Amino acid sequence: MSSPLVLLPGDEIPSEYLPSTNSAPLRLGPGLRLLSQPPSSSAPSHVLTATQAGILSTDNKKNAVSILSAPNRRYIPTVNDLVIAQVHHSSPDYFHCMVTPQAPHVVLGQLAFEGATKKTRPMLKQGDLVYARVLSVGLGAGAEVELTCVNPATGKAEPGGLGHLTGGMVFDISNGMAARLMRASSSSADQQDGVAGLVVLDELGKKLEKVGGFEIAVGRNGKVWVDCSNGGDAAVKATVAIGRCLTTVDQHDLSPADQKKLVSRILREMKIEV
Amino acid sequence: MASTAPSLTLPPSQFARLQPHAYLLAHLSPPASSNQPSIRANGRAPAQFRVTSANTGSLTHTNGSAVVRVGDTTAVCGVRAEILPTDDIASWSVSHTSSRTTNKRQKLANSDSEEQQEEEDPNDKSHIQDLNLLVPNLSLSTGCAPGFIPGAPPSALAQSLSHQILNLLHSTRLVRAEDLRVWYQPPSLGGESLERHNAEEQMDVDDEGTGKEDDGEKAEVKAFWVLYIDVMIVSLAGNPFDAAWAAVLAALRDTKLPKASWDVDNEIVVCSDKVSEARKLALRGLPVASSFGVFEADAAAGWRAVIVPDAEEERLIEEGARKGIQRRWVLADPDGYEEGLSQERACVVVDKKQGKTVIVKMEKNGGWALDGQALKEVVEISARRWEEVKSILEQC
Amino acid sequence: MVGPTASLTPLARADGSASYHCPSTGSNILGSVNAPVELPGRRDALKPEDATVEVFVKTGTAPASVGERYVEGIIRGVVGRLILGRERGYARRGVVITLAIVGGESVGRADSHLTLLPALLHTALLALLSASVPLSMTFSATVLSVDASGKITREPSAEVAAAAKSIHVLAFTSKGHLLLNESEGAFDFDTWEKVRQRASAICHGTSTVGADGDIAMVEDADGQPLEGTIRETVEDQVHRDYAWKIDAA
Repeated sequence: MSSPLVLLPGDEIPSEYLPSTNSAPLRLGPGLRLLSQPPSSSAPSHVLTATQAGILSTDNKKNAVSILSAPNRRYIPTVNDLVIAQVHHSSPDYFHCMVTPQAPHVVLGQLAFEGATKKTRPMLKQGDLVYARVLSVGLGAGAEVELTCVNPATGKAEPGGLGHLTGGMVFDISNGMAARLMRASSSSADQQDGVAGLVVLDELGKKLEKVGGFEIAVGRNGKVWVDCSNGGDAAVKATVAIGRCLTTVDQHDLSPADQKKLVSRILREMKIEV
Repeated sequence: MASTAPSLTLPPSQFARLQPHAYLLAHLSPPASSNQPSIRANGRAPAQFRVTSANTGSLTHTNGSAVVRVGDTTAVCGVRAEILPTDDIASWSVSHTSSRTTNKRQKLANSDSEEQQEEEDPNDKSHIQDLNLLVPNLSLSTGCAPGFIPGAPPSALAQSLSHQILNLLHSTRLVRAEDLRVWYQPPSLGGESLERHNAEEQMDVDDEGTGKEDDGEKAEVKAFWVLYIDVMIVSLAGNPFDAAWAAVLAALRDTKLPKASWDVDNEIVVCSDKVSEARKLALRGLPVASSFGVFEADAAAGWRAVIVPDAEEERLIEEGARKGIQRRWVLADPDGYEEGLSQERACVVVDKKQGKTVIVKMEKNGGWALDGQALKEVVEISARRWEEVKSILEQC
Repeated sequence: MVGPTASLTPLARADGSASYHCPSTGSNILGSVNAPVELPGRRDALKPEDATVEVFVKTGTAPASVGERYVEGIIRGVVGRLILGRERGYARRGVVITLAIVGGESVGRADSHLTLLPALLHTALLALLSASVPLSMTFSATVLSVDASGKITREPSAEVAAAAKSIHVLAFTSKGHLLLNESEGAFDFDTWEKVRQRASAICHGTSTVGADGDIAMVEDADGQPLEGTIRETVEDQVHRDYAWKIDAA
């Protein structure tokens, strides 16, 4: 792929950029729309134009095309996103949680946990953290966003790890970084350069094996939870070190090589043995 | 007997409410076979303005007032003049070494022709603007249209209209600063000076001017008239700006300021209560505002995603379409119903000097239909409208 | 001449933001966009199928005046036509644009806001782009003043504008339509047509059709067209945001 095509709203997408390998219909992602010629003119054709500014991204496998626009926007809940929410207060049926500080509270059913019944439901207090999936977003004004920590079809916490997050610490990162971390952690990271330009987690994982490894949960709402409960004495130090690595990589857009350097430097500074 | 299906015909008034766009479109584009001209839902031709009437002097305790009615839009304007003594202007003594500059100005005025003076009075603009001698305010009163609730703060529309009026008063320099100055000639000439001053304004008598320079005493501005121009839209049925501006214009033409003089002993400004001594404002020109809305045939343009043609292509399409189907109409003086259906608006304020049309303000916003040729037509329509409004204002 | 400078997303908390500085008029604007947001229910504001665009202009040094309401109306008219308020997630919601004049000459109560208008419009556009609000196209705007001798000055300073006979603000869409025209002061239609031509050249660059029908791009005194400046600003930001992706590829 040569230099990526940056589009502004109203720009037409040149047909040579569209995936043409597949006979399946083209799938349009966000930031694009299909326009047709007004009926009065003679040439009957369709064009694709951008509606947002960003890079054109094509996926030949899925025969999809979309625009990658500004990554660091406010988080807007979308169905199936994994988020880290903080319980604000609870009511008989729901926990009312905060996903982003500027949005109204979202609700999480008291029974929406793996194996929860009226008697065994988790007793979450104010300030507790949950890792949850967005179940539904309402429509229109005053719509409520609902979270769940369980797959309603199976009754299991899918993917694993949904539910109450105990211990550890939460760090704020940008939404763009959160998306990259999710991609990096969800795919098998065998590549040399890491996925989405991130090697920081792999590097940390290798280096912190001695202190017992760590757990991490990434929320699309720009939060990342880190825990090193196996680390014994070094647990707190290691947690903070991971958080510092992630936020620094986020703020300074470090390249893979720099990320490796950063990890070594921070671990050295914090006197964590590797 | 089979029950007849309930009739689906609607009276026109209901159809207009349910399908406003289709209703107006059907009027504007009658079937070719019917051989009817394109006409708006309110019975006007696209370039036709509503019936306009004006009445001045109806408010008795103002210095000037007018009621202007454009169709169902009615604007009442009252002009109240108040004295602003220069002693009350904090920055006056610092920023204006008044006497000298005014004398210079007078020399200029005397040597040059009237026309010249009109063009270059350096204090004119700064006095009126810096001292805020013109204070227009527009209010959309409760009940003028269904959306206006009692007790609400001035709406954004009212505020922006006030600003437009103020801006236009300044940019057209409609009111002369000279009319608003209250002069004082120190005693060697006594009370005559003011009179002379006024006379000079009117007739530009040479020898009097020179006589004045000789006397060594300098005339001084002691006070200003501040004109509070209050416009109230009593009834709003679209296009408030044209009506408001016409009302302001008519009220200012009607405004009479009493003769004011400086009483040295009491250090106050004294106004004469003789009607015969009051003088009218000498306005510069007669700018007339005309507003337009653009109605687009394709109501679903916002819904249906169609390619917006480039400006060049558009021009070709437009030329091609001239014979066939019209896609958009420029509606002069849109009423409330039409305003709700047109996104693109234009407003042109024109004046005529020696038969030549001068544009003093031209704005268009909200769309891309009006350009080059179409705007030129709009200006021509406004120029014709100028004649109309002029005769209306002169009759009242 | 020195072109304007702009940067995207200087504010971290807003959905989108932009700062814009135009050296020739001295205006310096900071803008933010929040969209889509829930608006308090008001019977006049909420359209059932469309987004509601709200614009707020705040002055820096001058006291607030009704002039801002007027400018807000103009900006709303321009961007309202370009925002695709019927896209998913936008209907019945609000697009709130806040523009703060942080520097430059203060505009008095009676002064016209026209010299500031292009900077405000560009800031609004860049902030909308930064917030990824769906737009049908982009635009560029400029202000020109005509003095008594008929000389056209691009983006005049406050003094030049005060002495000018007429001032014109024009905005063109990226497809070349005249989107906005605000003209003030005495002029005739021929003058306006000249102004329009010059403004179009400033925004889009000049394309003159030669006698033989060739279209030649002419670099004139106006330097890079404004449209290009806006595009470059956005491209820079996108390259910075996706450096990891672009470098890896």
